[in-house]
Amino acid sequence: MHEMSLAHGMMQQVLALLREHGAERVTDVTVLLGPFSGVVAESFAFGFEVLKKSETCFQDATLHLELPDPHYRCLECGVETSLPLTRSATFLDPDCETSTSSRCPVCASTRLSPLGGAELILQQVRME
Amino acid sequence: MCDSCGCQQDPVPINKEKVVDVHEQLLAANNEQASANRRHIEKMGAVALNLISSPGSGKTSLLEQTIERLKGRLSIGVIEGDLETERDAERIRKKGVPAVQLTTGGGCHLDAPMVHGGLHVLEHMAKGKKFDLIFIENVGNLVCPAAFDLGEHRRVVLLSVPEGSDKPEKYPATFRSADLVLVTKTDLLPYFDFNLEEATSAVKLLKPDLPVLPLAAEKGEGMDAWIDYLLALLPR
Repeated sequence: MHEMSLAHGMMQQVLALLREHGAERVTDVTVLLGPFSGVVAESFAFGFEVLKKSETCFQDATLHLELPDPHYRCLECGVETSLPLTRSATFLDPDCETSTSSRCPVCASTRLSPLGGAELILQQVRME
Repeated sequence: MCDSCGCQQDPVPINKEKVVDVHEQLLAANNEQASANRRHIEKMGAVALNLISSPGSGKTSLLEQTIERLKGRLSIGVIEGDLETERDAERIRKKGVPAVQLTTGGGCHLDAPMVHGGLHVLEHMAKGKKFDLIFIENVGNLVCPAAFDLGEHRRVVLLSVPEGSDKPEKYPATFRSADLVLVTKTDLLPYFDFNLEEATSAVKLLKPDLPVLPLAAEKGEGMDAWIDYLLALLPR
């Protein structure tokens, strides 16, 4: 999608916080990417690595990504469940699961309705 | 002992580190503008729909036929999003409806600030007249528009028969964000390897309560259900 521009926007938000708190450099940034946000974590991290070189105060910053598992409500039995993130196989991890459909752990129905998961949130910034 | 003056005190550690808990949306600026757009649209008297699909799946044709059916009964306004040209807005204006063309000049989606500008132009065109329905036709793209709330009340994703019934599986984020899926160009079903049942169940797998309406706008098939859907959105 537009991971590069999202990373850029996030860095602008962090820079504003840096000024607000009179700090000079960023050491750590924590961002939560929801499982249904459509944002590819690797691309977001890549965008951050590229862009941080152009901002002195980001030079030593580390990006931490929180990638929560998707939550669903089963429309058959009503149970609310979280299922492990199914990722497609990549060059980095060719053996990982490629399934795109999930089943309810209680009744095995595939009628699972996603609960939230589209969040993109700047969680925490550490600065000095 | 302190190194600098030799006093007996332990040095006070100077920890300049600050930890700021933010918990702010990355798209906060867009989302705030989208909420403002929604209020603006309601002030204009209207309900707004954001139409998202691949290029060429029939968004503009659907709008032309929708206007044809509702003209005289409802006041409609259209905001068109494209990379270049005024062409789509001109097609809509020919139907006697005010249309604003937003050209992104390469941008792959509309965002809330662009639509904000479009709403003001639409208001100006209508010379103070109220609207019932405002359609925002997004840039033809099944990926990027999903992340951007424009201030719409309903999001409609179109999937045309020639594209193939596996689109919902391939572009889950967009279909999951929809309030309604329209399968368009159903008059082409005999000529394409498109399985309507498969497409519907793929949509339901992503979001079980998401309604799917099949239609062929130019032939009039399925248009009644679409028009009923629109009418049900209006305040009584």
